[in-house]
Amino acid sequence: MEASPERTYETATARIEEIIRRLDSGDAGLRETLDLVREGRELVEYCAAELEAVGQGLEELRLEELVARLEAGSRTGGSE
Amino acid sequence: LAVEPEARPDGIPGSNLPGPFPVGSYAQRLRDWLRGRARVQLFGEVWGLRLSRTKVYFELRDATGAVPCSMWRNEFDQLPLAPETLIDGVEVVIAGGPDYYPGSHTSSPSFSFLVADVRVAGEGDLLAQLDRRRKALAAEGLLEPQKRLARPALPRTIGVVTGERGKARDDVLAGLRRRGWAGRLVWAFAPVQDRHAAPTITRAVQDLAAGGVDVIVVARGGGSLADLFAFCDETLCRTVALLPVPVVASVGHHTDRTLLDDVAAVSCSTPTHAAEAAVRVDCAQARGQLLASGRRLSVQSRRAVLERARSLARLARAPAEHVARHRRKLHQDLREMRASARRRMADERGSARRHLLVLERKATAATGAGVRDRHRDLERLRLALDAHDPERTLERGFALVEDDAGDPVTSAERARELGRFGVRFGDGRVRVRRDDQETLF
Repeated sequence: MEASPERTYETATARIEEIIRRLDSGDAGLRETLDLVREGRELVEYCAAELEAVGQGLEELRLEELVARLEAGSRTGGSE
Repeated sequence: LAVEPEARPDGIPGSNLPGPFPVGSYAQRLRDWLRGRARVQLFGEVWGLRLSRTKVYFELRDATGAVPCSMWRNEFDQLPLAPETLIDGVEVVIAGGPDYYPGSHTSSPSFSFLVADVRVAGEGDLLAQLDRRRKALAAEGLLEPQKRLARPALPRTIGVVTGERGKARDDVLAGLRRRGWAGRLVWAFAPVQDRHAAPTITRAVQDLAAGGVDVIVVARGGGSLADLFAFCDETLCRTVALLPVPVVASVGHHTDRTLLDDVAAVSCSTPTHAAEAAVRVDCAQARGQLLASGRRLSVQSRRAVLERARSLARLARAPAEHVARHRRKLHQDLREMRASARRRMADERGSARRHLLVLERKATAATGAGVRDRHRDLERLRLALDAHDPERTLERGFALVEDDAGDPVTSAERARELGRFGVRFGDGRVRVRRDDQETLF
């Protein structure tokens, strides 16, 4: 399933909580339960990836370096 | 004064004053003398500020006098003041001393108080100015756009605008460490209190936004309102208000709120808090929660399948259990019906016995009492009848006159009519015939 464009870490965690509440209620049928579990696992993976992205070690750079990288990137992109 | 003798003209006849001296030499001596005067601080209101390439000029006035002032442009630029701070009427304290520009053939001389430092004295004017600007921004709706921006809870890239050597930089890093955040951090170092601060910060936030950062932190330590005036710059505030990236401001403290604090998405009291506001997720805690969520999903998944498997097994066993359950119930019902019938027969037998006994008792009671009562009644009637029996009366000496049919004759007139009648005594009847003489009677 392709992630919806508005998906963010907070919308994903909110949806996970909603899914767990629904499953805990015991009202979901088998088909719904399996669908919810599948969706929940995908969201957990997404959130884990987001946390992983900010857990690899602080990368510090100056604004001038960022601008230089972007300019270099746009040049490379332009030449392709 | 050193003067070339052949160049010196004659003096004024009759004058006792020394000279004449060349004016240039006098001007330089005058400059040196003035520069030897004491350095002092003056206060008054600024009027007519003019900036040239090398110097800044203004007048310092109060009600009783004024002094022309000048300041070297490079020193003025180092002041912690926004360029528009020194508007006409702003009260300032200046430090310096008198100076004199001697001039030349091509330039005019001038006297001025050479200023080495300036401090804005009347913050009331600054506050009034700030208030006017704040109202203008509010009227244009520029205090809201930043607050409407979606602010990511877990940004991947954060831009930070701050002084390179300030404490704010360390505080931001400390705040990010507390969140356990270790993503990409883009530093945009800028002066934070001189007149270059506002334009530099404006460019920095624009470049950071264009560079794709998720959120921007603008941080500075505390200071007086005049020190923080760069963060009230109108161009900077308008730029931030319309920026598509959320800005978290941490400029000064609670008491000295700047316009940037007003237009920013979030305003924090310290750079550490600003960092924490930029990253709202505690990463270590979030990892733990995510792990727990993953486990709960697995548990729910297993439970859903196992519970349904058990349910299916129960359903498969259900028909046989149903029949057995009904058989047991029928047996039980049968036993209960038999027991109930026995109980009812026993109850009815007992009831019949009791009924019979009651009837017997009633019969016995009725028989005994009734016969005795009847005997008594009969005796009483017999005695009553006996009392009225005419035979008894006759036995006592009375006689009964009867016609031939045996009916009583109760009057003499009837006896005359009959002529013949009987008289019954206690021991028998005598026939009597009426004599015409009737005297018989």
